[in-house]
Amino acid sequence: MLFSSITFLYYFLPCVILLYFAAPKALKNTVLLLFSLVFYAWGEPRYVFLMIATVLVCYVLGILVEKTRGRFLSKVFLCLALLFCLGALGYFKYADFFIANFNKVTGLGVPLLKIALPIGISFYTFQILSYVIDVYRGDVKAQKNPLTLATYVALFPQLIAGPIVRYCDVEKQLTDRSHSIDKVSVGIRRFIMGLSKKILLANTLGELCVAFNASDEKSVMFYWLFVIAYMLQIYFDFSGYSDMAIGLGKIFGFDFLENFNYPFISRSASEFWRRWHMSLGSWFRDYVYIPMGGNRVNKLRFFINIFTVWFLTGFWHGAEWNFIVWGLYFAVFLLVEKFFLVKKLEKSRVLSRIYTLLIVAVSFAIFSGNSLTEALTNAGGLFGVGTDFSVTADFLYNLRSYGVVVLIAIIASTPLPKLIKEKLEGNNVFKTVWGIIEIPLLLGLLILSTAYLADGAFNPFLYFRF
Amino acid sequence: MKIKNIITIVVFAVFIFGMSVLCVAKPADEFSLSERRQLASFPKLSVDTVKSGEFMSGFETYTAERFPMRDTFRGYKAWFSANVFRKLDNNGIFVADGHISKIDSDMNEEMMDYAAQRFLNINNKYLKNKNIKLFFAPVPDKNFILAPKNGYPSLDYKAFIDKMRQKTDYMQFIDITGLLDAEDYYTTDTHWRQEKITDIAEKLGAEMGVDVSAGYVENTLENPFYGVYTGQLAIPFKADTIKYLTNDTLNNCTVTYYDMGKPVTGEMYNMEKAMGKDPYEMFLSGTMPLITIENPDAKTDKELYLFRDSFGSSIAPLFAEGYKKITVIDIRYVQSDFLGALVEFKENSDALFLYSTTLLNNSMAMR
Repeated sequence: MLFSSITFLYYFLPCVILLYFAAPKALKNTVLLLFSLVFYAWGEPRYVFLMIATVLVCYVLGILVEKTRGRFLSKVFLCLALLFCLGALGYFKYADFFIANFNKVTGLGVPLLKIALPIGISFYTFQILSYVIDVYRGDVKAQKNPLTLATYVALFPQLIAGPIVRYCDVEKQLTDRSHSIDKVSVGIRRFIMGLSKKILLANTLGELCVAFNASDEKSVMFYWLFVIAYMLQIYFDFSGYSDMAIGLGKIFGFDFLENFNYPFISRSASEFWRRWHMSLGSWFRDYVYIPMGGNRVNKLRFFINIFTVWFLTGFWHGAEWNFIVWGLYFAVFLLVEKFFLVKKLEKSRVLSRIYTLLIVAVSFAIFSGNSLTEALTNAGGLFGVGTDFSVTADFLYNLRSYGVVVLIAIIASTPLPKLIKEKLEGNNVFKTVWGIIEIPLLLGLLILSTAYLADGAFNPFLYFRF
Repeated sequence: MKIKNIITIVVFAVFIFGMSVLCVAKPADEFSLSERRQLASFPKLSVDTVKSGEFMSGFETYTAERFPMRDTFRGYKAWFSANVFRKLDNNGIFVADGHISKIDSDMNEEMMDYAAQRFLNINNKYLKNKNIKLFFAPVPDKNFILAPKNGYPSLDYKAFIDKMRQKTDYMQFIDITGLLDAEDYYTTDTHWRQEKITDIAEKLGAEMGVDVSAGYVENTLENPFYGVYTGQLAIPFKADTIKYLTNDTLNNCTVTYYDMGKPVTGEMYNMEKAMGKDPYEMFLSGTMPLITIENPDAKTDKELYLFRDSFGSSIAPLFAEGYKKITVIDIRYVQSDFLGALVEFKENSDALFLYSTTLLNNSMAMR
């Protein structure tokens, strides 16, 4: 089920809120779990059993890891958990990728498995792995209640599109969390902001991307318009989902960590990744990069560590070569920045931002392709490879039609509106006016988002690959 | 702050729960008058439909399409999209030069081939051996005038018509594009205005070797005409007025409708339909597989077989002056393979294939 759907907003959400707040404390997790399973099964009836199996296996292995901590067996149980979770992820997500490439290399014709990818498998696999690894490290205690562990994994606010919530961050909240009017109110505001980002901005920008892909007149300028729109679409879609997840979490008493922090104002690729999909970046840092030695190793090993982490980051996003290239592309820039550019980038705020936006734009051109060829065509198109600099009718129309949305999205992707609001908050008149208009504005956004959904407007789900 | 938070919760609880109750208690009607289409029904609930996900996807469509006050919400979306985002079209619908129109930019060669193949089959089966003269006149969508002028993407109508002409090169092509202007079409609908196309009827007649010129009385329908695009635009737009032409010849004609069951003799202009959901259907009663118009006062014995879509409904009466009998055939509603059982094609007649580019570009409905 999608947050951005009438079914979720006006059928599922009222039911879960009603029953959750009506239930006694002891049953709140059960209500959340049952609704989370319905939420997941709505889109993936079959694969709900895979998720339940993953939870049960990791529940048992988590306890065994804890019981045998310090002994060799603990490592064995940890490896079994890794094997099971990564095996399932590998089978469902990557099997056909490996078979197709194996066929290409060997010339054989091993048939593809053509397995549908279970929605959100990359997110919940990483979540449960963080749990088992943290138990192994002794950072958290093994969860004795399988329902609590299942609630953590299946929790619908963050189940299909993140953020990747670590068990250690919500361990206490799973059994003992507070609910308050303030928290629910903040959650509602955050949820509506996220919903509006997704429906009003991301989906409208998505229409422009669809128009670009359908066009026969792709000039350099149209490639740039597309890439800008695509960057903003992905940002507002993804950060919108994260906002909705964080907002829903607050309504149900959870505090999830932030996932985005104005990534497009970054002054380097490394800063970009500290601001973009932060829960994924920190997951790879803590569970892959640092265990490999991080940067406290010799240069060659450091290179290997960086390339491994970014190879995996790219591959996590999808079983296609363009995602791998996308990850490695960032690895190269991170290394170049570390060894050559770091001081130069500090010198100019403007140039460092232009540099970052440029490399991020090219990265999104690579990300946007459905194959490596398409990715390279899109990236090349930005620089006139295979196209020309003409002003085509398609470009002009789409620029005229989507120019305002793109402009609004650019401004909204920066902290400017927030800074202006914070500055004005010292002014009593503004404070009074804002106090009066904030709720009607939010209600207006909810009504508009509903209007877009009722109209059946373009509403893609971008996380089918994850 | 505390009070504001309470108000926030109350306002959103009232809205979400209120709409939720309305969704269950009072879903939107099954038929959308504004969009002129049937909306989704509640999907079948069974183990199989749940397992396959069919129920869920059906439910998603049902809840979106049957959302209470959907037209009002669609209006909000259209207004916001046009006035805040300054988008030039809403779901492909745009307003230019006082007209509502629909972006129609992709040429579908497969569909064009399909239409051409249907025409060829008809020719081979019924017309070729009867020495019937064949004419082909594509009617361009009003986009061909509005879109380029206003910077909207559009089908390359010249290329489209040229291609269709090549695909139907056994027919005499009649170019009517030069006679068409934006004013010849309704502002809220895809169709042309009968009172504005007498020159086109005359040109087609002249090319076919008959004189169809006549004097007409212009009659105005009292009720407003909100064309098919009004609902799709979703924001208020000035209604059109339907005018229809009459004269003694038309009044004396016998119009026979061949639908299900026995043929029925009726009127050229159906006043019941003029008051209905789509007043344009007043012209020859709208969608009908087969109609004959017989002119007892005709100066010739010539007959015309008019293969047509809905554009043909309003122009067909204007040919009555020059023909003894006009057989109006819509192969979307009658299988062309069975036409022989329904129509007796006469030697030395004329056959005019009059189709809108919109239908030629999406001809799947032709049978």
